[in-house]
Amino acid sequence: MSFTLARSAAGLALVAALAAGCGTAVTAHSAAPKAHSAAPAHAVTTPAAPSPAAVAHHHRHRHHFRPVRPMVITPPAPPATTPAQMANPIPQGNGGDQDADNNGGPSDGDGNI
Amino acid sequence: MTTPTARRGWQALAAIAAMAIITITVVAFARPGRTPGPAFPPLHPAAAPAGWRHLTLPNRTAVLSYPPSLRPLAGDKVAVSAARRSPGGAFQLYLNATPRQGSERLAGWAAFRLNLLRSNDAASAHEVAAAAGVKFRGGTGSCLIDDYVTRIGAHHYQEIACLVQGRTSASVIVAATPAAMWAQARPLLLRAVASYLIR
Repeated sequence: MSFTLARSAAGLALVAALAAGCGTAVTAHSAAPKAHSAAPAHAVTTPAAPSPAAVAHHHRHRHHFRPVRPMVITPPAPPATTPAQMANPIPQGNGGDQDADNNGGPSDGDGNI
Repeated sequence: MTTPTARRGWQALAAIAAMAIITITVVAFARPGRTPGPAFPPLHPAAAPAGWRHLTLPNRTAVLSYPPSLRPLAGDKVAVSAARRSPGGAFQLYLNATPRQGSERLAGWAAFRLNLLRSNDAASAHEVAAAAGVKFRGGTGSCLIDDYVTRIGAHHYQEIACLVQGRTSASVIVAATPAAMWAQARPLLLRAVASYLIR
């Protein structure tokens, strides 16, 4: 009987150690995006929504276990898909009302009407 | 009398239950809590300092005051703006007042503004601080401090954006500066916002 209890206790200890390891991993993982978001300059260099070609390229990189990396040169994304990533009713590039915020300046207080 | 197999089954069940409880407990304690962000700075509504200039909204419902180092800026016909720009044309200080045009509400103003930035001009936008029930000259407002990066030029700005409700009207005041200049420009921007007069 005492042998069974000892086994149970050992099992619980092992489980506790595993759970603690999981908890640490969760903590480390959840801290990572915070550090990432603390560097807005990174967002500057990253397009708001990558083109399908870029997505495909990125996808290949994430799966390192694939034995053969296809030697396919992905064609550049068709330009039609790039501007359609975000619905932006106010034309950029000095378009629309030619506000500062259509040219990379600070955003004004309009309600997007 | 339980058989060894049944006993082993109970032990396995107990171990799984214990693991679940321990995991939940550990994760709950280890998870970093949402630390409260910086508080929105106190705004003391007051008339603009002597020497500041004034721009009245075309519909005459609000007055934007700005220091003499800024110059009026062309923009929307219904709005007024003033800015100080570098010799190269980069914005250093920017003030804007615009009548409420869309579905802006005091409740949920911060989320509205961030969504507007993200869907219009900004590649990214993050809240720094927000406050509701902010007193203004002639009204009450909801305010947000945020920083964002423009799609064009990847300029990083930080702004104070308030939706202010007066007796008869509502409008938005924006006070922005490059994020790198925020610490230096913050007092002046807060002063400009605090002097905003709404009717």
